[in-house]
Amino acid sequence: MARFYVGLCITVAAAAPAYAKPIAFADGTTVMAEYGAGTMQEFQVFYAPRFYYSVGGGQVDFTSDVDGRTEHITYARLNWLAHRWNLEAAQANVFVWGGLGSATGNAFTGTRVTSNAGLQADYETRRVYASFKSDLQRSSDFSDRIDTLQLGLAPYAHDYGGLASWLVFQTRHYTGELHSGIETAALLRLFKGGAWVEAGITNAGKLQAMAMFNF
Amino acid sequence: MKCFQVALSVVLLAVNASGTAATIEMTVNGLVCAFCAQGIEKKLKKFAATAEVVVNLEHRLVAVALKDGQDISDTDLRKALTDAGYTVKAIARTETPIADLRERLKQVQP
Repeated sequence: MARFYVGLCITVAAAAPAYAKPIAFADGTTVMAEYGAGTMQEFQVFYAPRFYYSVGGGQVDFTSDVDGRTEHITYARLNWLAHRWNLEAAQANVFVWGGLGSATGNAFTGTRVTSNAGLQADYETRRVYASFKSDLQRSSDFSDRIDTLQLGLAPYAHDYGGLASWLVFQTRHYTGELHSGIETAALLRLFKGGAWVEAGITNAGKLQAMAMFNF
Repeated sequence: MKCFQVALSVVLLAVNASGTAATIEMTVNGLVCAFCAQGIEKKLKKFAATAEVVVNLEHRLVAVALKDGQDISDTDLRKALTDAGYTVKAIARTETPIADLRERLKQVQP
């Protein structure tokens, strides 16, 4: 099964020869889709007028593997680069975001107004990548937060125009009774030009995948 | 006589313009990923004087090949890179054609 996922990842990368930050670059559009092991699925589109902020929206679907509860949230969001450190051979960033949306779900009737807030801190060289991200979606009926820690190691230093390969180790913690315990995953990340794909498996043997395109 | 002086000035300006740098090389901090390079390339290609852009992560290098007789000021280049989210450490103007620079970068790749 793992071979299938690696094969799938390589195939997608070859078909659409890219990075996960809420802001890619000034005057750039980012389209991102993530499949989170059956617990969450998210689709986002953002446009960055400047390098330090982007605006857009998305849809996130949660399915609790604890009680079968589902939530479907559509939101608009502002992403803000709070600080960037441009070092000689590294870059570090702190992003924050916030937004509003509406939700439907099988644990309540009608729709609920939602608020969204989050932050991401990352550090990257051409061989090492580390990030921590916390994303909260809440309404009068639920409060779901996903905390994600990633450590990436590149077997070689890529350059612009070439294929970048990363081995990424991820741990994720869900609140709001979406998932019990800590979820871990091993991922293969590939990017080239403006396209990025990653796929792997979790400790429960489920698929974790993401694709992102910047243009 | 006045016409002659104007014509001479135009000729001298043209000669001077043709003597401007062929390539501008910039050393940039924070240049670690393909997305960084993509954003910088997009920004620099917006200058009318830009013929070609080369970004090399290994050498923290951003190079702009200029169109014949055209130029971009250091101030404008620094602003463009700063607006793209990066820090310019040095700017050098050379007569080296961009093709030669590409070749040099290929030869020194690890």
